[in-house]
Amino acid sequence: MGLEVSKPWQQVLDKIRTWARVNSPWAIHFNSGSCNGCDIEILATLTPRYDVERFGIKLQGSPRHADVLICTGPVSLQAKDRLLRIYWQMPEPKFVIAVGSCGLSGGVFHGCYNIVHGIDEVLPVDVFVPGCPPRPEGIIYGVAVLLEALKSGKRPERTMTVEVPAELGVPKVEVSQ
Amino acid sequence: MTFEQHGENRFIVPIGPQHPALKEPGHFEFVVDGEIVTGASVRLGYVHRGIEKGAEDRTWTQNLYLMERICGICSHIHATAFVQGVEKLAGVEAPPRARAIREIFAELERIHSHMLWLGVAAHEGGFDALFMYSWRDREVVMDMLEMLSGNRVHYSANLIGGVKYDVTPDMMDKIRDGLNYLEERLVHYLDVVNNDETFIGRTRGIGTMTREQAQLLGAVGPTARASNFAYDVRVDAPYAAYTEFPVEMVVAEEGDLHARFVVRILETMESIRVLRRIFDNMPESELVTRVPRRIPAGETISRVEAPRGELFYFISSGGGEKPERVKVRTPSLCNWGTVITLAVGHKLADMPMILAGIDPCFSCNDRLVMVKRNHHDPQLWTWADLRNYGIEYYR
Amino acid sequence: MSSLEEILTSAEKLLHPYALNFNRPEANRLDVYLARENLLPAVKAMVDARWGYLSTITGVDRPASAGEEGQPAEQGEIEVLYSFCAGAAIVTLRVRVPYTDAVLPSICPLIPSATLGERELMEMFGVKVEGTPDTSRLILADSWPEGVYPLRKSFVPAARFSGKAEGG
Repeated sequence: MGLEVSKPWQQVLDKIRTWARVNSPWAIHFNSGSCNGCDIEILATLTPRYDVERFGIKLQGSPRHADVLICTGPVSLQAKDRLLRIYWQMPEPKFVIAVGSCGLSGGVFHGCYNIVHGIDEVLPVDVFVPGCPPRPEGIIYGVAVLLEALKSGKRPERTMTVEVPAELGVPKVEVSQ
Repeated sequence: MTFEQHGENRFIVPIGPQHPALKEPGHFEFVVDGEIVTGASVRLGYVHRGIEKGAEDRTWTQNLYLMERICGICSHIHATAFVQGVEKLAGVEAPPRARAIREIFAELERIHSHMLWLGVAAHEGGFDALFMYSWRDREVVMDMLEMLSGNRVHYSANLIGGVKYDVTPDMMDKIRDGLNYLEERLVHYLDVVNNDETFIGRTRGIGTMTREQAQLLGAVGPTARASNFAYDVRVDAPYAAYTEFPVEMVVAEEGDLHARFVVRILETMESIRVLRRIFDNMPESELVTRVPRRIPAGETISRVEAPRGELFYFISSGGGEKPERVKVRTPSLCNWGTVITLAVGHKLADMPMILAGIDPCFSCNDRLVMVKRNHHDPQLWTWADLRNYGIEYYR
Repeated sequence: MSSLEEILTSAEKLLHPYALNFNRPEANRLDVYLARENLLPAVKAMVDARWGYLSTITGVDRPASAGEEGQPAEQGEIEVLYSFCAGAAIVTLRVRVPYTDAVLPSICPLIPSATLGERELMEMFGVKVEGTPDTSRLILADSWPEGVYPLRKSFVPAARFSGKAEGG
């Protein structure tokens, strides 16, 4: 925003931001080539038995509104670009949760020609949720682990950076006085 | 930007591969004239993994688990189609109890799949209450499947030559209780689908397909049966234990979205009935027969009725430890042709419902793909165009 | 309802003028071997008689020098199977085309839904289907190289599955 505030104020603002983020993370879900098993379990977390909305977690349709990308599947070649595009469109700070064995390593699809064997080959992943598919409790736990890390102010370690191509980057809008 | 400058007032509305209304990646382009859709095309392939090739590198047993993971919703039926083909090649037959257990899993899977669909389709129609209720009740089936197999989604019940898990009388009693509850709920859902005025407004007369169209476009499963195209592999070419415990075919005449809802709910009830019959007359036998590790050379075709329609496996063995060729033709693939045709003439707002109406399963059919493009060059907005438009608009 | 045997016999009669050979591999199956130029008339006979429906089109790669994995086979044939189903009966029309002349006529004018299977043949096996309505890239990713056909035996994925067979 480019808002200049004094240091104590900045600290207060940061605290409020963290508080808001931890209490109501909005998630976006993308299937990058999974068998649907993980996806129906992610959907099941929304429904009355598991009901993640009680934690303030909301599944959101647009990447521009999302904090967390919940991604499944071994990333097929065709889905790779779309996955990156969704990631680019998400506002900072953004977090990625990889769900399911095939999202972790390619899993049972290892050796198939049309996949890149895991989401962490494409995006920096913050939390891995193993299982084929993981139970809804497991997925909720994965999100909780991420939130816990955020609460303590620690950012999960990033081992890779994703370059946003210039033509998709932040547009330079000239502001006339 | 004015609309007039392009001569015709036609626009393409792209939906997907990531879109709030789609839970799975697929890309659709609807050509619209005002609110009315005048053309439709689909580009899949986002979930294409290369399983048919992968199958050639795996042994028969390893393939069992790969085939199960073609689709997470109908995983048992994929494995069943595969093992039945392999058993045919090997010249063995699964024992009666194993075949009955296969049918139990298949019917439980059909219940879970149809309830899942009921929820998702209602959600696409903006009826989220029904979505939440049907998914809540679906958890009952998930519990049964978990009790039987230890997993909620991929049950891995099949082995080549039989099944892994037995169904004990204790389990049967628990499942019976669950089924009683589900039947009660399904009666309620049928009532909602038939009598809720807003819901009928969104389903009756929408996406109507005649019997001739269904036949011509190659529709399968409940989508075809809702158009009075009476065809069900379980009845026409019984497999597993469907000869001993037959199901009755459910058909409807109307062929519209409403009929597809009714057919699926009635089919779920029929599944419950057949499950009770199996539990009352459970055959006693071994669970597995011995199967050689090398499957004799030969070719076979195995067909089963998945929740979405006819599933077709072509399996070719060269006499080794690995298959020579496995070809899978899934039901969703057949039903895409119907969507593209049915979409034309309807309002854009009905599209999610019509899409959901065939119960599409992307991961099933994305080992393959189809595209139907209209080559009469309507104005197509690329991503860059849309982006620039957005920036200009908010300036 | 006529019996399985009658249904299959009726198909055999329909296809008799075109077939090179008949085979009955299983009780409910009839394999019909066809020459390429007889494919269209045979499919037309099936459609005109309203015999079942086209269930799927399967391609099978038959390299001449079987064995020797990883060695691209120069010679060989693609066998294409058109499976028609009616009840429990399955009739398979089998056509073979050599690599060097892998061309087939499209059956889309007769059966519109065949377009899916024909496109799969084109992309996965490199069979040219003449007259099919759309020939653009369909199954494979946009970045997939031209002229590489994944379901041919000579194609070996880069990261190949190497799981050992169980039981040793």
